[in-house]
Amino acid sequence: MTFKKLLLTTTSALVLTGAAQAEDYVIGVMSAQSGYLAPYDGPAYAGFQFCVDQKNAAGGLNGEYMVKTIVKDTRSDIAEGVKVVQEMLDDGAQFIVSSADADPTIAAAQITMADGIPTMTFAGTAPVLTQVGPHVFGSYPADNQQGAVLAAYARDQGLENVYLVKSPDSAYTLGGPEYFGEVFESLGGNIVGTSNYSLNQPDFSAIVTTIKAAEPQPDVIVTWAWEPDFPAFIKALRGAGLDTQVMGGDVLDTPTVRGLGDVVDGVVHTSGGFPDEGSDYAKFIDDFKAATGTTPDNNYYVNGCDIVNMIEQAVAAAGSTDPVAVTEAMAEIENGKGIMSDFTFKGTDRMPLRDVVVARITGDGEKEFVKRTKADPATLPKP
Amino acid sequence: MGDANLLTFPARLRAANLVRTLVCLVVLAVAVAVLTLVFGRSGERIAVQMCVNVAAVVALGVFCGNTGIVSFGHGAFMAIGAYLSGILTMPAGIQRTSLPDLPAFLAGHELSLWTALPVVALTGLVFAAISGTAIARLMGASAAIASLGLLIITHGVAVGAREITRGSQTFFGVPRVVDLSLAFGAAVVFILLARAYRESPAGLFARAARDDDAAAAALGINPRRTRFVSWCLSGAMCTVAGALYGHMLGAFSPASFYLSLVFAHVAMMIVGGMASVGGAVTGVIGITLLQDGVRQFEGGVEVFGVALPEVFGLTTVSLGLAILLVIWLRPTGLVGRFELGPGAGARIFERISRETSPARAPARVSEEILEAEQLSKSFAGVKAVDHMTFAAPTGRVTGLIGPNGAGKSTLVNLITRQYHADGGKTLLSGRDLSTVSAENVARAGISRSFQNLRLFQGLTVYENVLVSALAAGHRGAQAAAVALRELRAFDLGDLAATRADALSYGARKRLEIARAIAQEPVILLLDEPAAGMNPAETDDLADRLMQIRDERGIGILLIDHDLHFVNRLSGWTVVMHRGTLIAEGAPDEVRADPAVIEAYIGRGRTAAAITRTTKEETLPQQGVRP
Repeated sequence: MTFKKLLLTTTSALVLTGAAQAEDYVIGVMSAQSGYLAPYDGPAYAGFQFCVDQKNAAGGLNGEYMVKTIVKDTRSDIAEGVKVVQEMLDDGAQFIVSSADADPTIAAAQITMADGIPTMTFAGTAPVLTQVGPHVFGSYPADNQQGAVLAAYARDQGLENVYLVKSPDSAYTLGGPEYFGEVFESLGGNIVGTSNYSLNQPDFSAIVTTIKAAEPQPDVIVTWAWEPDFPAFIKALRGAGLDTQVMGGDVLDTPTVRGLGDVVDGVVHTSGGFPDEGSDYAKFIDDFKAATGTTPDNNYYVNGCDIVNMIEQAVAAAGSTDPVAVTEAMAEIENGKGIMSDFTFKGTDRMPLRDVVVARITGDGEKEFVKRTKADPATLPKP
Repeated sequence: MGDANLLTFPARLRAANLVRTLVCLVVLAVAVAVLTLVFGRSGERIAVQMCVNVAAVVALGVFCGNTGIVSFGHGAFMAIGAYLSGILTMPAGIQRTSLPDLPAFLAGHELSLWTALPVVALTGLVFAAISGTAIARLMGASAAIASLGLLIITHGVAVGAREITRGSQTFFGVPRVVDLSLAFGAAVVFILLARAYRESPAGLFARAARDDDAAAAALGINPRRTRFVSWCLSGAMCTVAGALYGHMLGAFSPASFYLSLVFAHVAMMIVGGMASVGGAVTGVIGITLLQDGVRQFEGGVEVFGVALPEVFGLTTVSLGLAILLVIWLRPTGLVGRFELGPGAGARIFERISRETSPARAPARVSEEILEAEQLSKSFAGVKAVDHMTFAAPTGRVTGLIGPNGAGKSTLVNLITRQYHADGGKTLLSGRDLSTVSAENVARAGISRSFQNLRLFQGLTVYENVLVSALAAGHRGAQAAAVALRELRAFDLGDLAATRADALSYGARKRLEIARAIAQEPVILLLDEPAAGMNPAETDDLADRLMQIRDERGIGILLIDHDLHFVNRLSGWTVVMHRGTLIAEGAPDEVRADPAVIEAYIGRGRTAAAITRTTKEETLPQQGVRP
């Protein structure tokens, strides 16, 4: 896999040098190749580069601008990130794609603010990250959108009482359940209890006992926990004989969670997209697999590709590569065409309004499509 | 080094210390200059990050290097510095949106960095003083684990205090005001501070206690206090370094100051050499250059027309390899246990000829008497010392003899409060010493050597004795003069610049006594000073001790197996057996006491028989002459 990826990027570099006569659009990419962000930055960068290569092979963005990427490893280290962003600006970057989390994105955005260089996170979903300035953009459906859609779905199913399991150790694990709770209550549901856990907590029996003792009993448990916390939690919960409905965030959309077997049967989670048969997303998966030999098994690949689409449409609308013009054009995009889903920046605080998919895990390790909808901007919780 | 050279030694040591500080500064300045001049703006950024790391790691080394305890708690100080400085300097407009629930007393200050830093440093000092009261009580691994606990607690509080820190969410809007001149200036100031502390009396005490806690206490140094002082200074400095780190990043979260940062800094310190400031500086520079050098190749570069592919992860791999290699080849770090740069014995200092005159022999001590009254101590039911009563006055060498296991060393440890007695008491001219600390026994005028050598291995011969003089209350030049006097008295002048762990056995023994004498004690307790010495060395030592007794009139309590040696020196002999006093008196009387002979060579043999039959066998070796 790595070799093919290397081959791919090397050929893209060669293609690039051959065609450097056309005007280049320089995009700096912060990509953590090790550390806690690597599982997100890695696929996102692979998908991003794949689509950059496709665009360049077809004559560049809108057939006009060949894309030149400067990619630098941040090792998931914020100080390293600050340094590489400055270096990329020195090397003429006109657009920065930042790591898939709020910390590095906000740190980068404070640096790009001076020149108004548009900055977009790979997959950061904390809605707070665009507060730094008007040049910062999200790309993935934000936590509050996911929480709102999931809460509305839960109420539609007639669920009344929710128990929230959250971790203050990260904005994601804390924010998701809180946004869910806020919307759930506004739709007439009740929060019957809340427990906090620590990231990488090995034992969830205390929390399970508290849930068991909750009065009234919850009919749904919501957590934005990821691996290895989610598997530990769900095993403890089911092991204690509780078969309460469990719902979670888009981090549950992984083959390893689906592979947990009976304990995850029926777990419902949000997702950024679903590769329906015959859809653009399904075609992307086939193309990517054919070209690289790797099957994109999460949404970060296709979202990386969609970032290229967002940039292309913003450049087209701006009619130039001027950073300020691109920033303004990006913020005005309405129903932009994407592969994972379409995207709207207009009227948002630059976290794009995109479809949120609700999916259900089945006992045989698959996921089934439940619904696809957009959050209602009117009921969206404030970050 | 001859005698004349010895007298110039203090001046040379001061010069060497100055040069070593300069070496640290020059190494840093050269690294910064090369980075900025050769690599332009990107080099300058690397230099900024490097200088901030130098400040942080040097601050960390102030505690770790001087106490020998690896601390993981310094991330806590850095977090406090970064958040506090961020809040105090943040533009009010940004603060209102990013920290809407900030308590009023913290809100809206908009200070400049220069106004904020003193507040930050003071807060760090207060936090260090509070946490230090607990951490300074611990040593070694338990102290390291406690410091890790401090880090975890602070991280938890930072995550929980959402009104002040935004919890685990990114804290942003911190003015990015750290440029190269500020970062470099801070690194220089930190190096100067750390070097000054390391060579100051407080720093020497800390390093002495690091090398041997009990020996330091026996000189009147409070090991706990040395750790506390080092912790406080180091903590306050780390808090400032954290503020600079925050102002370099502009945005961070509690995770930015957690394990990965702490481990990176500890790794830099250990690679460079934990025991010295030069080690900290070298470690940071080495690792920065290595990582940033390797990083240039990660993104795929063109070398001689060949495009190399992207290979990410090289930096992590190279760092891991570097740490492994250093630990394997140089376990004490790149710089080793001593400061970077020439020692005081180096040739370049030979032209320094300013002499310090050795101190005159101290005035004869006034008449005092050390008395043990009914001292008792049991270990797990075994009576090691059982109601021992005896006296050791000034002006006399009191020999304390007895077979192995008689309880002699335990008795000394009871007198010096290494052990706490189960019963009885120790009096010095009527003053009860049985409730004071080991340090206060030393301050009362009782000084000792140890049965097993307990030198300060990480210090030079001169520093070993200097520490003792400083601990006894001598200041500056006077302490140096006292140290020179004792080095001369024990013929250690040639070895002044030598590390204590590089000495021959005999020289180590002499050094330990010189160190004890430099305290100018009233009573000197010598626990087997001649053990392991050859006859010539033993005779030489006896001469020196008699000279000191005659000159200064101090009392010596001498424990040794070599009865010939004890009898030659003693005016009075006390004999112990199985924890109790079995005889005392003039050496001649004691020597003939049947109980003493029985204790030494067994029941059923009379003194006469021994004299007759074992004259050539046991006794000459034991040193008992009929």
